[in-house]
Amino acid sequence: MTRREAILDWIAANGPWAAGVLIVAGIVHIVSILAMPRLAPRDAFARMERLAPAHRMTLLPAASPEGGSPPFEDPALVQGVCRYDLAAGPVRLRAELSSDVLTLFSFHARFGQLYYSMTDRSATRGKLDVLLVTPAQLEAVEANDSEDELPQELRILAPTLQGFILARALAERAGDLDETRKRVMAIGCALAPAAGN
Amino acid sequence: MACNSRAARANEILPDWIWLRYRRHWPVLSLLKTLAAVVLGAALGLAATFAAVERGFGFGAVRAGPWTGWPKTGSRDADPYARAVLSRTGETPLGSAEGLGFVARGDSSGALLDPRCDYSVRGPVPAARWWTLSAMTPEGRLIENPARIYGFTSAEIVRGANGGFDIAVSRAARPGNWLPVAPDRPFVLALRLYDTTISATASALDGISMPVISRGRCE
Repeated sequence: MTRREAILDWIAANGPWAAGVLIVAGIVHIVSILAMPRLAPRDAFARMERLAPAHRMTLLPAASPEGGSPPFEDPALVQGVCRYDLAAGPVRLRAELSSDVLTLFSFHARFGQLYYSMTDRSATRGKLDVLLVTPAQLEAVEANDSEDELPQELRILAPTLQGFILARALAERAGDLDETRKRVMAIGCALAPAAGN
Repeated sequence: MACNSRAARANEILPDWIWLRYRRHWPVLSLLKTLAAVVLGAALGLAATFAAVERGFGFGAVRAGPWTGWPKTGSRDADPYARAVLSRTGETPLGSAEGLGFVARGDSSGALLDPRCDYSVRGPVPAARWWTLSAMTPEGRLIENPARIYGFTSAEIVRGANGGFDIAVSRAARPGNWLPVAPDRPFVLALRLYDTTISATASALDGISMPVISRGRCE
């Protein structure tokens, strides 16, 4: 048997096994990447669950050299979080915002999806009024809408029952940190009274 | 026998005596080999996952000079790799309406940032209501320094007569806008553009001028 034949024989004998190994590796890789957001024990939601009670604004600890906060956080941002569970009802986010202070809002679903974001510029005449609902809750709310008036609030559909709203405000200077913290804490986040009552 | 001869061929890599002695156990050997293939495949697949997640951020990177950003991580269509990475670090990205973050691991000439060198970061910055620049370790932690300066916002920066600015990144104190780094620790620079108009069209970042990072004196 020549060397070439020996190589071909080896491939004929072991090729299917090698292909099997690669196929299994591919499937395991894809499944594990897709499953990670659902299985990760230390994702953002788990952190919010640990640090913040549901349905109220809570300040998150500022980034520091000692660590403890997630990587790549802007030290100039003051962060507040409102964790929600829409099983208890729709959630209302209310704030009076000044255009002199950059305020950012992002809405996160249970498994790491950022499904909506906006800045203070979304406020009308300095007021922000957001109602966070599930599809069923939206139907109930819309059934109660008056016919000749457009709703004044911004209604956002949440893809999962649980999740969190992150409110971040920029402190222009280190000396503004306290003032900015007060502004973030002044943002109201609470369960909305059930529609129809 | 056709089917047997194939099995025999498949085992030509084994010495004859093994084949003759264990021929009766062929189904068991075959099962063991299948198990080994599955275990090896699973190990390879998990290793690939680990490598991908360690490297960070997957697809959709946008490059402009020394800066790299991942505009899609903060939107509904974040790719599975980005979501896997975020779920592991607990990071919350900037939403696409909030702004855009960039990281520079090298200077404008392409060389890695070296903590023994001085760097100067100069405009222009793309249009944004506010921006911030901070120095971090490559893992994204703030860098301990006695002055407790971790970054600058666009509002507090000292500007020249023409509105331009120059941020000095150095381990030693500098007049003006001094961004301290540690002498012995590698660092990266993080730039964030808040409420910027470019986030929506981030795929076309080529025409946008980002700050220039130039190397000064080295020790």
